[in-house]
Amino acid sequence: MKILIVEDELSLLDSMLTYFTEVGNICESASTYLAASEKINLYSYDCILLDLGLPDGEGLNLLKELKKLKKNDGVLIISARHSLDDKLSGLDLGADDYLVKPFHLSELKARVAAIVRRKKFDGNNVITFNEISVDITKMETSVKGQIITLTKKEYDLLIYFLSNKGKVVTKNAIAEHLWGDEMDISDDFDFIYTHIKNLRKKIIEAGASDYLQSVYGIGYKFGNV
Amino acid sequence: MKLADRYNRVNLITALIVLLITGIIYYVVIHFIFTEKLDRDLTVEEDEIKQYVATYQKLPLPASFLDQQVQYKLLNRDDKESRFFKNTTYYNSKEKESEPGRSLITTLVQGNNLYEVTITKSRLEADDLVQIILLITLGVTCLLLLSLILINRFVLKRLWMPFYAILEQMKAFNLVKMSEIKLNSTDVDEFKELNTSAVQMALRVRQDYKELKNFTDNASHEMMTPLAVINSKLDTLLQAGPITERQGVLMEDIYNAINRLTKLNQSLLLLTKIENNLISDVQLVDFREVITEKCRQFQEILKKENLSLNINLKPCEIEMSRYLADILLNNLLGNAVKYNHTKGFITINLDNDFIEIINSGKNFSLTDQHFDRFFKSASSEGMGLGLAIIKQICTLYNFSVTYSFFQENHCFKVLFKN
Repeated sequence: MKILIVEDELSLLDSMLTYFTEVGNICESASTYLAASEKINLYSYDCILLDLGLPDGEGLNLLKELKKLKKNDGVLIISARHSLDDKLSGLDLGADDYLVKPFHLSELKARVAAIVRRKKFDGNNVITFNEISVDITKMETSVKGQIITLTKKEYDLLIYFLSNKGKVVTKNAIAEHLWGDEMDISDDFDFIYTHIKNLRKKIIEAGASDYLQSVYGIGYKFGNV
Repeated sequence: MKLADRYNRVNLITALIVLLITGIIYYVVIHFIFTEKLDRDLTVEEDEIKQYVATYQKLPLPASFLDQQVQYKLLNRDDKESRFFKNTTYYNSKEKESEPGRSLITTLVQGNNLYEVTITKSRLEADDLVQIILLITLGVTCLLLLSLILINRFVLKRLWMPFYAILEQMKAFNLVKMSEIKLNSTDVDEFKELNTSAVQMALRVRQDYKELKNFTDNASHEMMTPLAVINSKLDTLLQAGPITERQGVLMEDIYNAINRLTKLNQSLLLLTKIENNLISDVQLVDFREVITEKCRQFQEILKKENLSLNINLKPCEIEMSRYLADILLNNLLGNAVKYNHTKGFITINLDNDFIEIINSGKNFSLTDQHFDRFFKSASSEGMGLGLAIIKQICTLYNFSVTYSFFQENHCFKVLFKN
């Protein structure tokens, strides 16, 4: 997929670029409004990661430009402001999602993947990884063509891992993804452990290899061993 | 004691003392003047008698006039001559009663005889006059005093009206609600000055408060980007290659710290937003529905902590922000879970005008201080903002939140209608 990252904080931009750069991805970046505007005029992207607070212009105006150009690029707004109004006006202007700083790169990637999937939707919305395939529209998971039943949380977890193949995903990131704000009630991650254990068991029992690795108690990695 | 009362009291006491002193002086002076006059009259009489004796070589008849009596008394040859005035009694033959009188007692030589002559005049008239004058003066002064008090009471009240108006406004002044102090119209310079000072002070306070809030807002926002950088760098570091277990633990600690800092920032921003009434999605919130949803969300945690949940829900719809209703319940329920013990219980009672959350927990009562920002008990793991947020939300919508502790149970009650 082709991604444009618009972010004025260079070290953050650098991290995002590193995280997204992998086989099959083309990542470009812009750190000013002008550079970003130039790029969206010239090229098309599967997804644009847009920081609202740019030094030389309001990020929301880029959305207006996109609309004027009648482009169908997916847009994910990244903002330091946890503001309902910003979020609503961003989504009104055609953004696909809204993420508040600070965020986990894995969360960002999962959201971008979801946007790209939606945009590229051609009636056949299936994520496949070796013998595992997930039909997003039907919310069905199958291993070697055989459908397995997952709970909502296990399903979300699997999609999250699939979007972050080969990356170490921290427990904090998973917790935030699955529970959001309620999670500050309990800081221990036993819940995650239970769900991961169940997911892993179901997949292995259906005949797939064990792709989940625990990484020194800090998180998990899903991918070819 | 009110200013007017104090003023009245001082006024009254001073007036009374002055009145008393002037009354005494007045009485003494008038009395003195009348006695002088009587004495002069008596002297004239004495002169007449002496003239009569000189002309006719005999005493005039001891006569009794309307208000004057003359008496003679033969003295011994050896007695000394004397002359003095004296207060005596005067027998009024017409009225047949004794009256206060003034006498001149003098001696007179007629031929070889020495006579003592007593000329007595009635003092009654003079005394009456003094009394009347005194009474009139007293009456007038009392009337004056009375009218002064009345004027003070009613006029002062009217005069002080602008003052009380300003006072009322200052009492009602609420920084959080950004209320204003209006300029009252008054002709009195002092009140004008007070008014403008109050208005200016309110303006300055509001300005300062606004700046402080803006500072919190900006500081919190500015912190989010560096936090995002740290977080992303950690995420990147984690991908960079094999890490040791020790490094993993260290990184987890950093993640947790970032998490806490983020939550803290978000809570502070939320507080500022509620204070500024910047949350606008006000709608009719069906609390029954929200609570049912929340209970579903909390199910896993409840199960893990072995907590039993009792819910009694009655229909309850409240006009407020859906977002804040969610946060309110999240915090209330979150606290009930967090400060509970295993195998404890949580009871949620929802009625059409209140919600009550009772939970078992540690055996100590909370104080009002727990509603302050950053106040937390020694055993608390939170940031100390949860209750502050609850309180702020309740303040915004004029709900009242009360806490009670009985039989080791904590109970939070939010009354929606006051």
